[in-house]
Amino acid sequence: MTKPILEIKELKTSFKAYNGLLPAVDGVSLTVNEGEIVGVVGESGCGKSVTAQSILRLFDERKEVKYEGEISYGGVNLLSLKAKQMSSIRGNDISMIFQDPLTSLNPVYPIGEQIVEAMLAHQRISKKQAMQRAIELLQLTGIPSPQERYHQYPHQLSGGMRQRVMIAIALACRPKLLIADEPTTALDVTIQAQIMSLLARLNKQLNMSILLITHDLGIVAETCHKVVVMYLGQVVETASVQELFQSPRHPYTQALLQAMPRIDSERGKPLTVIEGSLPTLNQLPQGCRFVSRCSYATEKCHSASPILKPVEGVQALVRCWNADLIKIESRSQGQQARSGGEDHVIQSVQS
Amino acid sequence: MAIYVLKRLLALVPTLFIMSVIVFIIIYLIPGDPARVMLGDGADEATIQQVREQMGLNQPVLPQYINWISGALQGNFGESYFLGKSVMAAIGEHAGPTFSLAVLALLLSLCTAIPLGIAAAKHQGGLADKLLTAFSLLGMAIPGFLLSLFLVLLFAVKLKWLPVSGYASLQDGVWSYLKHLILPAVSLSPLMGAIIARMVRSSMLEVMNQSYVKTARAKGVSEHRVIYKHVLRNALIPIITVTGGAFGTLLAGAAVIETVFNIPGLGQLLVHSVARRDYAVIQGIVLFIAFLYVAVNLIVDLLYVVADPRVRLE
Repeated sequence: MTKPILEIKELKTSFKAYNGLLPAVDGVSLTVNEGEIVGVVGESGCGKSVTAQSILRLFDERKEVKYEGEISYGGVNLLSLKAKQMSSIRGNDISMIFQDPLTSLNPVYPIGEQIVEAMLAHQRISKKQAMQRAIELLQLTGIPSPQERYHQYPHQLSGGMRQRVMIAIALACRPKLLIADEPTTALDVTIQAQIMSLLARLNKQLNMSILLITHDLGIVAETCHKVVVMYLGQVVETASVQELFQSPRHPYTQALLQAMPRIDSERGKPLTVIEGSLPTLNQLPQGCRFVSRCSYATEKCHSASPILKPVEGVQALVRCWNADLIKIESRSQGQQARSGGEDHVIQSVQS
Repeated sequence: MAIYVLKRLLALVPTLFIMSVIVFIIIYLIPGDPARVMLGDGADEATIQQVREQMGLNQPVLPQYINWISGALQGNFGESYFLGKSVMAAIGEHAGPTFSLAVLALLLSLCTAIPLGIAAAKHQGGLADKLLTAFSLLGMAIPGFLLSLFLVLLFAVKLKWLPVSGYASLQDGVWSYLKHLILPAVSLSPLMGAIIARMVRSSMLEVMNQSYVKTARAKGVSEHRVIYKHVLRNALIPIITVTGGAFGTLLAGAAVIETVFNIPGLGQLLVHSVARRDYAVIQGIVLFIAFLYVAVNLIVDLLYVVADPRVRLE
């Protein structure tokens, strides 16, 4: 169960800008084990999506980005593969689904053809067999009357259906790892729940690992085994889901959890926010990147960058100088988050 | 679909009607007298008056127009004063060369513009992209008649590979037919090619940013397939639109090139008819060109449906 399938070590993805390289992902390390669902959370712009897309090397390396570090899959460093070898990994060993299912499917081809295309790209399989399998996949992802749907175009399907089709495409070659980049952000809440439970089911049924990129802590609490919290291109904390919600150690993680609207919070009280705003990548603070927004910041935090290291008393890795000192704000947050983050939001909006 | 086409064809009627009125008024405003032109400088005033009376030119505009349109509605667009045949027959004879020239010029434009546009979009800022910028600037800047003269000088006069001018119909043999059309078509194609190539490039670049292209890459399909299957197909609609426009322009606007190469096409007929004040022919050609424009646009609209399943014609 704990055999690592994907190991990212010190990944650095820099975008080529007119005034030099901007490191959107700066030294990220994380591991996904077989059959595990790992969540990557963080606010917009923290580099979680870039990390996800870097794994499949979806950015244009000639013009757009520069990758450094190591992404090890099955003992091979993906960053050292040639373009053609990389293509044979994409969609075959590692698949990906994206944020917006409304624009992620090619509008001019029937959905079935788009599923078949993924199979024909990697497998020696006849068109007829591929079609048969595509219909099975549509069924597996919970699309009613798949035979008819096969010939329909994306615009004839709802958003939730289209995300199911995306999942079917991703599953076409039975990948060992699925990268889901905010798969439910563009969908409404009920559909969101359906898609997440579908992913959880596929994880169990096919023993497929999932790297789930999201900013929704409710989803993380419900589906993930392990969580990686990112801030400004760095991992600030990795922990098991229970640990993260019960004893968050990094000040940013704590702030994130406090910012989550709660059903039992006092009505009419403003929601908690993280003070300050995200520095831009070309104006990174010296020392700890969170220093300007952190309530625990000391002298040392302003001058030296902390590293990701184990903390006393927990299994988690935390990137903070004060992790050992910061009192654990004991809370039963985990349990409550599990009951669905979305309900809290609705409640607080009404109040 | 059939109903849609029928509706569009019916919509032609008011368009053509308005066109005919405008053309009639413009012709009426052109100075010059067909009777005088027809009879030559030495004709005496009495004869001129007599001919004017015969041709109905002494009537006010409205009866003249009513006279003409009632004939046109019955398929009779009048007789040419000079050619001694019906306007329909004259247009029929001259449409072939124009059509051949337009098709060949369009094919040439497409064959250069599409690969160049794709290459430029694939390597934005690269060699092909710079080539496209240079090519399209040149294509738009060089007037067709100037280019045609250079081409004649080089390929017809100096190298003697191709004829200087003239036209051979397809019955005279394929090579003879093509030989006469190559230079005029090459003269016409740079402008169209430039417009189409730029559209291919910008349309492809726009599609390349779409997330379904990322999906295609994430599936692991080859880059070649990503470009030709996923990007190009989605970039087609604006390309079809400009191509249709270009074809319409080629059908209507090749008068200069036809004159340079002495090709008996519609453009040449139109220019000559204006010089001869051959009212019926001018009227007929203008209406025919208007009809072609509308027909080309209809075909373009029908092609949209083929290119993009989301387009529904109603």
